[in-house]
Amino acid sequence: MLKPHMKRKILVVLVGVFAVALLLTVRLSYLMIAKSEYYMEIAEALHDRERSIKAKRGVIYDRNGVELASNKPVCSVSVIHSQITDEDAVVDALCGVLDLSEGEVRKKVQANTIREKIKSNVDKEIADKLREMDLDGVMIDEDYKRYYPYDTLASKVLGFTGADNQGIVGIEVAYEETLAGVPGSILTMTDAHGYELENEAESRIEPIPGDNLHISIDVNIQKYAEQAATKVMKAKNAQRVSVVMMNPQNGEIYAMVNVPEYNLNEPYTLVGMESYEGSKQDALNTMWRNFCINDTYEPGSTFKLVTAVAALEEGVVNLDDGFSCPGFRVVEDRRIRCHKVGGHGSETFAEGFKNSCNPVFMDVGARVGVSAMYENYEKLGLFEKTGVDLPGEASSIMHKQENVKAVELATMSFGQSFQITPLQLLRAASAAVNGGTLVTPHFGMYTTDEAGTVKETFQYNMEESAIEKETSETMKLLLESVVAEGSGNKAQIAGYRIGGKTATSEKLPRGNGKYISSFLGFAPANNPQIIGIILIDEPEGIYYGGTIAAPVMGEMFANILPYLGVEEDYTEQEESSEDTNETDGIDVELDTSSQSNGNDLIE
Amino acid sequence: MAKKKKSGGLFNSIKEFFQELFIKSDYVDYPLMFVTLFLVVFGLVMVYSTSSYTAELKLGQATYYLVRQGMFALLGVCVMLFISRMDYHFLKKFSVPLMLVVIVLLVALPFVGVESHGAVRWINIFGFQFQPSEFAKPIIALFTAHIASIKSARIGELKIMAKVLILPVIAIVLITSENLSTGIICTAIACVIVFVTSPKVKQFLVIGGILVCVMIGFLLVASYRLERIDIWLNPEKYDSGYQTLQSLYAIGSGGLFGKGLGQSIQKLGFIPESHNDYIFSVVCEELGLFGAICVIGMFMFLIWRCVIIAVNTEDLYGALIVVGIITHIAVQVLVNIAVVTNSIPPTGVPLPFISYGGTALVCVLAEVGIVLSVSRHLRVAKEY
Repeated sequence: MLKPHMKRKILVVLVGVFAVALLLTVRLSYLMIAKSEYYMEIAEALHDRERSIKAKRGVIYDRNGVELASNKPVCSVSVIHSQITDEDAVVDALCGVLDLSEGEVRKKVQANTIREKIKSNVDKEIADKLREMDLDGVMIDEDYKRYYPYDTLASKVLGFTGADNQGIVGIEVAYEETLAGVPGSILTMTDAHGYELENEAESRIEPIPGDNLHISIDVNIQKYAEQAATKVMKAKNAQRVSVVMMNPQNGEIYAMVNVPEYNLNEPYTLVGMESYEGSKQDALNTMWRNFCINDTYEPGSTFKLVTAVAALEEGVVNLDDGFSCPGFRVVEDRRIRCHKVGGHGSETFAEGFKNSCNPVFMDVGARVGVSAMYENYEKLGLFEKTGVDLPGEASSIMHKQENVKAVELATMSFGQSFQITPLQLLRAASAAVNGGTLVTPHFGMYTTDEAGTVKETFQYNMEESAIEKETSETMKLLLESVVAEGSGNKAQIAGYRIGGKTATSEKLPRGNGKYISSFLGFAPANNPQIIGIILIDEPEGIYYGGTIAAPVMGEMFANILPYLGVEEDYTEQEESSEDTNETDGIDVELDTSSQSNGNDLIE
Repeated sequence: MAKKKKSGGLFNSIKEFFQELFIKSDYVDYPLMFVTLFLVVFGLVMVYSTSSYTAELKLGQATYYLVRQGMFALLGVCVMLFISRMDYHFLKKFSVPLMLVVIVLLVALPFVGVESHGAVRWINIFGFQFQPSEFAKPIIALFTAHIASIKSARIGELKIMAKVLILPVIAIVLITSENLSTGIICTAIACVIVFVTSPKVKQFLVIGGILVCVMIGFLLVASYRLERIDIWLNPEKYDSGYQTLQSLYAIGSGGLFGKGLGQSIQKLGFIPESHNDYIFSVVCEELGLFGAICVIGMFMFLIWRCVIIAVNTEDLYGALIVVGIITHIAVQVLVNIAVVTNSIPPTGVPLPFISYGGTALVCVLAEVGIVLSVSRHLRVAKEY
């Protein structure tokens, strides 16, 4: 028999159980109402997985619409372990088709992961073979890979992209934002192992393809310049040869060559550097360098045009001012030689320019003075970067103005004891011959969308009247005389008026017999449509710029000028002695009975 | 009747045995039976819901766990119905020997047991694996109820109470060394039976106090258990708080009405073995607070029915067995829900009827069978 106290106690137990159950219900309500949002958010963050969809990278076109960089469909092959039905068949197929070692593939096939990537960047044709086999558990994803149809063409300008299609060097990185586009994404729910859940609503954001970029490079000019540069590099067994071709009127760069160029489709294969010191990465970085803008050099005699501009701007010299050259000039305690050992004797400024006579420029430089000289450097943009749309542009290395004494001023007057980039010199020279406008050298012209409609046209800074128009007119005549009668005569071509200046700069440290031979030229001399510079680094044998660099420029102009539609002008060429009349107001005497001096020594 | 006379002595004696064994009454507590069957079926649905995805993934067969659990459920329901027709008094004969067998098995467990999940809790007999501690729960209930009902008159005396509890305490000590949560459940079963039998109250407050002190001492002695407390308070700081956190995410994302049956995301591998101890958190995620309260209500209804039976029976032994079974089911349900909601430090207790696990399901159904049998007796007793 149950006693009353037992029944009571049973009820106590029941009440106890109900009480605890009630407490737990309260706790549960708290979790599921008050904290519901908090936990739900964490849980969703845990379940959602964002899978990005690559955006198609914009195509790079040359100025005529030729593709320089485009996209090639490639595939990536991966396996999903849990879906594989016939492991051996899968391993055999993957080894056979993709040419991989069996051990490696088997390990990946057996890996119990969500998804194991076997190989990416597989050519579409090869991937199609695998697709035809229709093996369970083998996934083939289509992807795009950057592809450069011309392999080496303008490699150091264009640059290449990395594994994620991101720009690494050159235009590809400078215009990353334009080209890259915006990747899309697929939001899916996954389980704890990362498997995507079927039937779960997925939200998809479509990728926005990158814009196409049209650059000022002209494939034909670039190709031709590359051929010419390669030819002279081989002939002179030079380290490298750089060429820049630009429109001096607006700064559009037609060609920028740095041979040896590397293959953009295999940017990690070293070219022309069979042996290297240090790490391979350093060697690769050197190979990818664009010497026209990333490095500085002592310009040498080509820089005399800047000194001449300064003197004309300051009005401290007339073309017929007389100078005398004994073969050297003593500045303070230093005896600075002219390249012509015996000296040029008595000569006018115009003749001194033509002869590239160092003492003449030392005198002229001294007349200009330090502060006026620096003001003119400033006007010609030598203290600033050119603003070219490529990454890693180097700055000029100049004396501090307060440190420039007579000796420094003298050496600077003929282009020594400081360093600038070739492109800085080309920009300054453009201003000297285009009527005085300081242009911004550039590649990017405009962008288009997928349909081909222009989206954005790039504007570049043009500093008009950086120097006087008259100065520019005089400079054209002076520089033309260098090619017509002076040291640059090897750049002459029939039917065109060419202006230019040669240089042979000894590389530092002095006396090691290493030179950079260069030539800066433009045409037609009266109305420049193209200006170019060629630099031959460490040529063997004869190393004078006038002998080895000038003829290459002449050869290039002979092909490029007709291509650009610049009409031939025989009569003017033949009557070059008389056309000095153009420059009325300035008394120019250009001696036509050119000493035809084959004088290679004259720089 | 005619047949029986023909078949002779042997058949007669068998018949007599069964007549003695079975109650002739057709009455049974149907509400209890139906709520039990409902919970079993609901458990099967939830086991399928929680296990199908991982089973498909790992074993290539979505119904793997459902089929196994279903077979045990069938067996368990048969056992329940069979026992419900039996006169539970015959269990008196077995309670002492079974208690001894359990103690022997528990002593032998470390030597003959099979290891699984890092603990030796299973014994393998004829290819059939079972956990002695799982059987210990009903056997401790039966044994304590039996002895307490005999000694009920003098159980208020400490000496007598100690006599009643001596064998259960030995079993409990053996179990606790291996499995704390089962030890706690067994302690609760034995204590509640004695508590109900005894006319006194104060001494139980003392016993309760002692048990609490023992628990605290237990925690202080083993530092890893203290760490468990810290994991309980700050689950996000510990790797081992992972399961608790995942459970909270599941419960929290359920909201008022849940995501709908089968729609849980947390069961997809986030909660490890979500068909086991943490199945209730998936119930919350899929059916919401509404569903969770329904499930808790179902259990409370079951316990209430059991209490009605215990209070109304005229037989002390039967009442005490029911009290033991009530305690078993109630403690397990409350502790499980408390763990899942991170209300107490985590400990592995399955939810009766619903969590995956064959031995436990058959045991708990057998227990309900005993309660049903008591309910039949109740009706019989009233008829007299």
